[in-house]
Amino acid sequence: MAAKTHRVLPGFGLALGYTLVYLSLLILLPLGGMVLKASELGFAQIIDIALGERSLAAFRVTFGASFLAAAVNAFFGLIVAWILVRYPFPGKRFVDALVDLPFALPTAVAGITLATLYAGNGWLGRFIEPLGIKVAYTPLGIVVALTFITLPFVVRTLQPVIEDIETEVEEAAASLGASRWQTFVKVIFPAIFPALLTGFALAFARAVGEYGSVIFIAGNLPLISEIVPLLIISKLEQYDVLGATALAVVMLALSFILLLAVNLLQWWSANRHKNSEPLEVAAARASGGAA
Amino acid sequence: MSIEIRNIAKRFGNFVALDDINLDIPTGELLALLGPSGCGKTTLLRIIAGMETPDGGDVLFSGAEATHLHARERQVGFVFQHYALFRHMTVFENVAFGLRVKPRRERPSDAEIKRRVMELLGLVQLDWLADRYPSQLSGGQRQRIALARALAVEPKVLLLDEPFGALDTKVRKELRRWLRRLHDDMHISSVFVTHDQEEALEVADRVVVMNHGKIEQIGSPDEVYSNPASPFVYQFLGNVNVFHSRVQDGYAEVERHEAAEKATAFVRPHDIDIAHQPLADGLQATVQHVHPIGPLVRVELQHDSEVVEVELSRERHEALQLAVGQTVWFRPRQMKVFGGDGLSRSTPEKQPFLF
Repeated sequence: MAAKTHRVLPGFGLALGYTLVYLSLLILLPLGGMVLKASELGFAQIIDIALGERSLAAFRVTFGASFLAAAVNAFFGLIVAWILVRYPFPGKRFVDALVDLPFALPTAVAGITLATLYAGNGWLGRFIEPLGIKVAYTPLGIVVALTFITLPFVVRTLQPVIEDIETEVEEAAASLGASRWQTFVKVIFPAIFPALLTGFALAFARAVGEYGSVIFIAGNLPLISEIVPLLIISKLEQYDVLGATALAVVMLALSFILLLAVNLLQWWSANRHKNSEPLEVAAARASGGAA
Repeated sequence: MSIEIRNIAKRFGNFVALDDINLDIPTGELLALLGPSGCGKTTLLRIIAGMETPDGGDVLFSGAEATHLHARERQVGFVFQHYALFRHMTVFENVAFGLRVKPRRERPSDAEIKRRVMELLGLVQLDWLADRYPSQLSGGQRQRIALARALAVEPKVLLLDEPFGALDTKVRKELRRWLRRLHDDMHISSVFVTHDQEEALEVADRVVVMNHGKIEQIGSPDEVYSNPASPFVYQFLGNVNVFHSRVQDGYAEVERHEAAEKATAFVRPHDIDIAHQPLADGLQATVQHVHPIGPLVRVELQHDSEVVEVELSRERHEALQLAVGQTVWFRPRQMKVFGGDGLSRSTPEKQPFLF
């Protein structure tokens, strides 16, 4: 008699079918339509458009700025998450809520605010521009906007993982003679690294697709501070639908490859420490070894 | 290394965790800190380890001031109740951790680390698990790895916080004996915290019974069990029947309500005789329940409004053939009487109960 396993959600078949239909309607159908449209062009032409001087520069700006923003957040987001989890301080809940604001704020509002702030006569701009640092209407402005937008991803991914680290583990390291730095590098960091990668990947993906906040602060100079989403819009405005889809498809492919790579890396670092051999086998060997 | 604890006090907000604790732990001793949860035993252990700072008082290691020494400078091995193993490291790397974080000039060579770690894993009989991760081990195995990890840095003192608390009874018993043997082989001082009186009595050289941040009694396992210094110790170490009585002329009088000092008499369930015929100085009672538990038979007697618990050997029970509802007489063979102030009174032996 075949053993029937009982699962909480209704039948595996039904749940899987639902998942596939849902994902197809929501994600695969629109993306598929896009790829279909682009296929009118042919592979060589798509590559041609993507390698055009202006598009190449836009790709560089988009992915470069996104990478920088995600990296900045990986570092500072880690600190914010650590503080929020580990230390009690007055106004902690308020600070915790602040972290989510970039999620809720219309991105255009964020862009305009940042642009005003960093402009030559803005509150911050008037102090840093004399130092030779120009933020508004430069690629640096893009990084600033993307950093603002993607902060919650890193913080919110790391918080539960940091909460999960027992303080006992740190105490154990200290009692074994480890310095604070050794404890962090050898004990804490390896434990949060997979989550940090996830947070980084989410922030990066969000940054690559960001449009609203960037166009207000970037200045949008072709070849210098123009991002791919903007280039796509401007192609559409010139009724170059095919050109726009070609760029979109290339962007999609690049994002997918990068996310896949990050996911694989994360999967690898998370699974390194899992069972390579079922526990029963280990137990059998244990009793054998003891005998 | 000997440990001296001088007037240690610790508060958490309004809660007094430790109140003026004094304790000497000579080199080579295996000491148990025993008490109910919240009695301050773990706090005391953590203060010895340097993981908690006392509000007042001093900790001395081998006579030298160590109160403000950081945990990593104390050369203390600490074993946690929930193991606190490093999840992302193999068993080997867990044990090697303490050696690898040593300053470069003190750090042993890789070959030497490997030799020492494998030796320790052999000691805890888990050398065949060296390349596993903690998630692949059972609770008992994890605790032995945690112990090997703590021993790797050759600590002068081994501190264990409820080391077997999370394990099942059988594994716990095995590990207990094993810890005792290990302690005897290693020639170090060990302190372990437990709320399990059986564990403390079985393993330790000396037992410190704690309650509400104070030490109730310090003594050998036999001493604290057979000669408890306070009602708390009596009740904490095993089952006990409590009789509210009065003390007069050195006798504990359970049922005579005359002017006399109030007192409480404590009698262990296995120190009570039962008979079918009236006993001299005995009390009358009705049998309420009879539960055979392994080698013992636990009998509950109803005496007036009080329930008296009696433990009989199986043979004795078979001879008596007690049935529920029967009227019997009982008499304590020995008892301990504490006055209303909680202080010990001379123990009446000849004639414990007067009517």
